[in-house]
Amino acid sequence: MNGGLIPYLSGFDWFNQTIKSTSAFLSFDTTSLLSFLIYAVFASLLVFLVLMPIGGLGTYAERKISADLQARIGPNRVGPYGILQFLADGIKMVLKEDIVPVGADRFVFYLAPLLAMVGVFMTVAVLPLSSGLTMVHLDIGVFYLLAVSSLVGIAVFLGGYAPNSKWSLLGGMRGASQIISYEIPVVISVLAIVLLSGGMSFDVLVGSQGGLPHRWFLFHNPFTFLAFFVYFVGALAEANRAPFDLPEAESELVSGYHTEYTGMRFAFFALAEYVEVFVLCAVAAALFLGGYNVPGELLKDHPLGQLLQLGAFFTKTLILYYVVIWVRWTLPRIRVDQLMTICWKYLTPIALFNLVGCALWMYCFDGKSIVSLLFESGVGAASGGH
Amino acid sequence: MFLTVLFFLSATLTIASGIMVVVVRNLMHSCMALLGCFIGVAGLYVTLGANFIAAVQFMVYVGGVIILMLFAIMLTGNKPEEKVGSFLLPAMGNRRTLTWGLITALVFFLSVGKILLGMFGIGLGKKTAPTDPSLFESTVDEIGTLLLTDHVLAFEMSSVLLLGALIGAAIIARPETSKEK
Repeated sequence: MNGGLIPYLSGFDWFNQTIKSTSAFLSFDTTSLLSFLIYAVFASLLVFLVLMPIGGLGTYAERKISADLQARIGPNRVGPYGILQFLADGIKMVLKEDIVPVGADRFVFYLAPLLAMVGVFMTVAVLPLSSGLTMVHLDIGVFYLLAVSSLVGIAVFLGGYAPNSKWSLLGGMRGASQIISYEIPVVISVLAIVLLSGGMSFDVLVGSQGGLPHRWFLFHNPFTFLAFFVYFVGALAEANRAPFDLPEAESELVSGYHTEYTGMRFAFFALAEYVEVFVLCAVAAALFLGGYNVPGELLKDHPLGQLLQLGAFFTKTLILYYVVIWVRWTLPRIRVDQLMTICWKYLTPIALFNLVGCALWMYCFDGKSIVSLLFESGVGAASGGH
Repeated sequence: MFLTVLFFLSATLTIASGIMVVVVRNLMHSCMALLGCFIGVAGLYVTLGANFIAAVQFMVYVGGVIILMLFAIMLTGNKPEEKVGSFLLPAMGNRRTLTWGLITALVFFLSVGKILLGMFGIGLGKKTAPTDPSLFESTVDEIGTLLLTDHVLAFEMSSVLLLGALIGAAIIARPETSKEK
């Protein structure tokens, strides 16, 4: 479990006291049980207090930004600037009737939205929000994240199959094929970064970058620069965001795999989608944009430094989130054949090329970034030339 | 404590959904039970400290195999009553399949029995104590090193096998245009 939690907690008197009294009462050593309980409470608090609002505010941001881009006003009735709109939406969702279509496969129909939620929220466990606020310091961090998020693909497929509706089925089929296709360039781009930093844990990945842009992996070498864009395009497609939102293309499929879902079940799908976008942006920020590193490593060992790190992380992630929404309301939707062409004829070969390029770069330049190479040669020329 | 709870949860999930896979007649539900079975096995790997294998289990079986199976199910059923289940499947048992099934079951039962009896200290083998899971540490480095040093031949062979499968699939899936010309 979380290796750092028990040593940290055993520094407090109340924790040791509680362990003693409960161990005496239950007649076995309750250290791991208690720390597990504390951990579970903390994790659920994080999910409910941070991620639910992020998902909810995502819907608000989407509408407000789309309104800006289209010279409209957007939601402005509930709360100041309409910022409480997502709460009103949530209440509305809860009050709606929960309809199950007559021909539906009920078991699968109930299962699909849950799988979507579970798959997305399981990824949150390894997100590096700051150096102290990572729930699990897992040695396979980014691999775990990619593996677990594959549950969403199944959820999309089942959501399409279960209601026994043609629109849903087409959307679900498109969604599943799109997700498993675009997983390949995304994973290979991530692999290039794993190669550079020499570890799959987010601690290593973020730790081997620095606060300022010249130490980010984005500007490490030309291949990672390309890999970032491959990853980002692939991530857009994996989260079914425009211009890759074919699974829920309104003009053709009503709304794709969640056509037949109502009320909270629909909200589960929507929430899962917005949180998934957030997670994918967070991974992009952690892998390519220096993650939680603060420029100059300000207040590194001070508790306030954690706040600065949170600030750096959320700034980068939310800027990427803005770009995702911006892209959605700017570009038209692409066709299915174009979707597959982009993935298999462009992104996958480019991602493979990047991987080989990164490996060669590591071999030739001993893992130094392009900036340090230029800088060092400049210093060498300046000092040795005269 | 936590690992024990995790072990029993995963073991129950694995066995229960494994039984479900066989018992349930609706193919789609059977596939869902298989999903539960795979997740349970991933949980078992985690209790052994093999995080990497657990993630691979998730990636390959949950993300790949289950989706492939779902696609296969969707692509096969064309009669309405076969669409959601195997109701029209003929009984599969004849003398030959039953004999082979019996032999397989016997071998499986004996090998599992040997392990289980060994655990309780009965029978042939010496008692194999359940290993303390906290002994295991991160396995990623070792797996990587071993794959690219001692087992590099097997590693490369499997990549050739996969390439062959990929090319074969491409050839089968390609529309036959050359004959018409």
